[in-house]
Amino acid sequence: MNVAVFVKYIAQGTAYTLGVTAVALPSGLVLGTLFALLAVYGGKVLRQIMTFYSTVMRGIPPIVLLLILYFVMSGQINLSPFWAGSISLGIISSAYQMEIIRGAILSVSSGQMMAARSIGLTRMQAITNVILPQTLRNAIAPWSNEAAIIIKDSSLVYALGVPEILRRAQLIGASSQSYLLAYLTAAIIYFLLVFTSSRLLGLLEKKLEIPANP
Amino acid sequence: MKKGLTLFVLVILLAGIVSACQPQAAAPQATTPPEPAAPASKLDAIKTAGKIKVGTSADYPPYESVDSAGAYVGFDIELMAAIAEGMGVQLEWVDMPFDSLIAAVQENKIDLSISCFNYSEERDQQVDFSEAYYTSEDAFVVGKDFAGTIAKPEDVVAYKVGVQSGTVQDDWLTTNLVDTGLLKAENLSRYERVDQAALDLQAGRVDVLMADYVPANALVKQFEGFNIVLKSVLSTGPLNIVLPEGDAVLKAEIDKQIAALQASGKITELAEKYFSE
Repeated sequence: MNVAVFVKYIAQGTAYTLGVTAVALPSGLVLGTLFALLAVYGGKVLRQIMTFYSTVMRGIPPIVLLLILYFVMSGQINLSPFWAGSISLGIISSAYQMEIIRGAILSVSSGQMMAARSIGLTRMQAITNVILPQTLRNAIAPWSNEAAIIIKDSSLVYALGVPEILRRAQLIGASSQSYLLAYLTAAIIYFLLVFTSSRLLGLLEKKLEIPANP
Repeated sequence: MKKGLTLFVLVILLAGIVSACQPQAAAPQATTPPEPAAPASKLDAIKTAGKIKVGTSADYPPYESVDSAGAYVGFDIELMAAIAEGMGVQLEWVDMPFDSLIAAVQENKIDLSISCFNYSEERDQQVDFSEAYYTSEDAFVVGKDFAGTIAKPEDVVAYKVGVQSGTVQDDWLTTNLVDTGLLKAENLSRYERVDQAALDLQAGRVDVLMADYVPANALVKQFEGFNIVLKSVLSTGPLNIVLPEGDAVLKAEIDKQIAALQASGKITELAEKYFSE
């Protein structure tokens, strides 16, 4: 068996893994930030709706939502396996990211809002110019955790037949009977992806550190 | 262990809820053309596209697997290629875990599926089956340290048994041994894939593995010390292609192609190529 061909076959799945992550993570961030703002500043009703959303979405295993979106909802919306997988992971991730951002918003001292309002900023201006920039900086560290989880959870799209890293490792492992090599290759690729992304986010965190923070 | 099955059941239940919630009659719309009176056969769409989309779970050699270059190979693969050739259409493979295939046919994600499927009543309620293209047997495989005896299938109740989840073997064990109380539920381990079961058999976590005879025989050749102690027709039998429910035109065409390949000796030739011991 040609090991180079073998490893290459599994590594080709990286494109799908990165693709799913590239859709799920940013869409989860945008939705999560919006939901967090609504939960903190949106008033009682919106806060309750957002809490409900977050509780439900964090309570559903990603694979269940993925199967529902692909097989059950196919009469309503016909999604490709890739999009069904990416969107479900994005939805679930938005709930987790909402909690990350919500925590980061609450960690910004309430005096900041008062100070901003007292110098004449509107509430909206205070949120976008004072609160949110600090929030997002504070959120990078916990957020890198979520990024690692999404990279690894992207393997779930194999259930719909997307030939990503794990599914490729299974297929080549079955045909060659070299399971150890197949799964080890998959593990190393996932590790490298998570390691690289964590390091990059670590650098970003350093660069964007709030100077006044102790 | 039962995760795949549980999820499947959950999805089916949710499917029921969602479809029950759908509005019964849509208001007539001037902008969209009305639905044709008779449901169109999938065969027309396949012929128009010049392409047939076939699902398989390519982790079950020698029926279906991938080679190290990533090409699909195996008995079912070559057989389907011959069928597509007979129909005069291109063949597009879609790989999917076994548990997802029936749902994919039902939901029109693929045109049909060939993946070492056996007929079962439960499956027949959801999809249609082609005529049989091959008949298979069941085998019980043991590892090299196995000291007991298995003279008849029921003897396995004294041991820890492994099986691939969602297969007809799983169904047979569950219905005939677990549900009747002969085999303790905790002594039956269900694996998502047959090779995972084989690895656990090698590691001694299960004592005996029930699988289709042909892949079992392939495992015996690959794993040192593995032995087939019993071979018999229990759960399996004829292999069929899974087709969308109620599409008689497509079924007739596929059956015609299978009959032609049986008559020409092509199927026997493929069986010798892939299943010869």
